Amino acid sequence: MGQVAQQVLRATGLRKAFGALQAVDEVSLTIAPGETYGLLGPNGAGKTTSISMIAGLLKPDAGTIEVDGRTMTPTATAAKAAVGLVPQDLAIYPDLSARENLRFFGRLYGLPKAELTRRLDEVLSVIGLTDRADDRAGEFSGGMKRRLNIGVGMLHGPKLLILDEPTVGVDPQSRNAILDSVEELATEGLAVLYTTHYMEEAERLCDRIAIVDQGRIVAEGTRRELIATIGEQDVVRLTVAGDAAAAAAACERLPAISSADAEDDVVVCLVDGAAAALPQLLAEVAASGASVSGVEVREPDLEDVFLHLTGKALRD
Amino acid sequence: MVRIWTIARTELLRMLRDRSNIFFVFVFPLLLVVLIGAQFAGSVDARLGVVGPQDDATLDALLERLEAADGVAPVRMADEAALRDEVERGLMSGGILVPDGLDAALLGLDDVEVTFIGRPDATATSLRTLVAAELADETLAIDAVALLDALEPRSPAERDELLAVAALVGGQAPGITVAAQTLGSDELAEEFAGLGQFDLGASTQLFLFTFLTALTGGVALIQTREYGVARRMVATPTPVRVIVAGITGGRLLIALMQALYIVIATVLLFRVDWGDPLAATVVILSFCAVAAAAGLVLGAVFSNDSQASGAGVGLGIGLAALGGSMIPLELFPEGMRAVARLTPHAWANDAMAQIVRRDAGLVEVLPNVGVLVGMALALGVLGTWRLRAVLAR
Ligand SMILES: Nc1ncnc2c1ncn2[C@@H]1O[C@H](COP(=O)(O)OP(=O)(O)OP(=O)(O)O)[C@@H](O)[C@H]1O
Ligand SMILES: [Mg+2]
Repeated sequence: MGQVAQQVLRATGLRKAFGALQAVDEVSLTIAPGETYGLLGPNGAGKTTSISMIAGLLKPDAGTIEVDGRTMTPTATAAKAAVGLVPQDLAIYPDLSARENLRFFGRLYGLPKAELTRRLDEVLSVIGLTDRADDRAGEFSGGMKRRLNIGVGMLHGPKLLILDEPTVGVDPQSRNAILDSVEELATEGLAVLYTTHYMEEAERLCDRIAIVDQGRIVAEGTRRELIATIGEQDVVRLTVAGDAAAAAAACERLPAISSADAEDDVVVCLVDGAAAALPQLLAEVAASGASVSGVEVREPDLEDVFLHLTGKALRD
Repeated sequence: MVRIWTIARTELLRMLRDRSNIFFVFVFPLLLVVLIGAQFAGSVDARLGVVGPQDDATLDALLERLEAADGVAPVRMADEAALRDEVERGLMSGGILVPDGLDAALLGLDDVEVTFIGRPDATATSLRTLVAAELADETLAIDAVALLDALEPRSPAERDELLAVAALVGGQAPGITVAAQTLGSDELAEEFAGLGQFDLGASTQLFLFTFLTALTGGVALIQTREYGVARRMVATPTPVRVIVAGITGGRLLIALMQALYIVIATVLLFRVDWGDPLAATVVILSFCAVAAAAGLVLGAVFSNDSQASGAGVGLGIGLAALGGSMIPLELFPEGMRAVARLTPHAWANDAMAQIVRRDAGLVEVLPNVGVLVGMALALGVLGTWRLRAVLAR
């Protein structure tokens, strides 16, 4: 078979509206085995809605989804068996132990008894809960609950693992452990779909990243490719006192500046040749009536790409 | 099937994990069976209605004796009609009609007939015996006093002698006879006749509690939804109908386990008679199905667990009261009895009444079973439909 059949996930032209709100608008993406694909976007961008459709929890208004060569619909049990879902909100029984939670979902995924027993121990060690396996999940710390939540999603050995902001509320150490295990799963050939609004996570984990805003994929590619969309530009951050929006508008009029956005009391500009343009930039801000209290020049990152494409910060 | 069992068993396990559930599911029902049994057996003093003249020394003395006796509380009543009514309705355990001129009749050594009115039950019988005995003692005392007055003893020694003689004479003196009148034609009296002390409470409480537990179980279902677990189940290769069947099965399993427990515990602890085993089993099974389905509806319709638990407790107690699980249906006025027919409890209680008190078999209670199964199906369809809609969102 050709290139097409090798994809674990093929989603084409997904659309979903809630009333008048177009939550997901023409989202298409493919993920190959061993590839980690990131959906990076702010709150309400439509990440969870897209994932719900891909996991067969929600029926798309339009578009098709294929997982491991099978069409995914809310009733497609064979396709669902190939997916492991780690929902954004915890989905575990607090009154059952870690082991009982895992066993319960393992049974629903149809794991045979012997395999279930083996996988239970494996997964418990991967998520670092071997010592607490028989304690009730309700008594766990936030990070431990998150880890159990992830364990349930990977227990049955899916072809596609979907993680919806799995690290929210997790301490840096646990977060690192989670990211490590996701990386390891990907090297074992798992296709991973990962949503986050942490740029660092997307940069570290994801082979390809889609930047999502208002239900649309506004840019897609590797980290390099995305940053290259900004060109060989520098990022200049000016901390201002006064009307930041007016200052940004003033900066944008300069030819060397391709975009300028105000974020609280900071104006972020994409500049061709920061060293040459800086004096002019400062003069424009002063002319707009604001005064500059700080200047920072650096290489652009995904956050800047996002700001450039949407005019918004990734996190509010 | 494996998946249905997995889900159902997990619901049961979660219920058993909750300490407060253990109390409400296992301890509380038995406490109420005991409480109702105590009330029914009248282990408090039996109330004895008394209709008679106001200023009769003999009657007053008799009332004093009865007050002092164990297990009886005499209550003066206005007239015979009121007395009969209260005895019939079970508010009085029995009553006596005392004619005018008891004193005079006694002193004239005439015969007087006191009428005892009671239901054909053990309490009435023992009450009648007690009344007769106290009356005889009182007659004896009166006779002795009358004799003393007539003979005017001159010394204490002579007085004692006379008293001893009077005691002998009094024992044979024509006095007061007690005629018994049994309200045997009364249906209510017959209804409860021969019923063991705890028999009434056991089945009515079984229905009250299995229904209540099933409704509050709806809260567990809402939690399952709130925890996101229900949605996650949908993400597994488990068809929604299997999930719904598992959840419903879990509610049913809990109801059946509780019912079985109450039956076994009341048989062992209180020797409760559950009548024909097949008929009782079928009635209990079909009632549990209604309860489980009602819990499903509650859990699917509400989305807030404190609202649902309020509604669950309210409905659980309200329907039970309306359906004769607190006061026997037979004591309901006609109109209320018709309203009660809307509750599954009424049909189940009526069926158990037939089985336990009238030795009915399965065939006789089939109409009740039919109604219960119908209710279970209607609620089950509604709950399943709602739950599927909720899960598919
Ligand atoms: N069931 C629903 N009914 C109505 N609107 C919904 C529903 N689910 C999501 N939405 C709306 O769709 C939009 C996209 O929501 P979604 O949860 O997909 O965003 P997200 O990218 O996952 O955001 P976050 O980062 O906050 O998780 C939001 O505006 C949200 O309010
Ligand atoms: Mg989300």
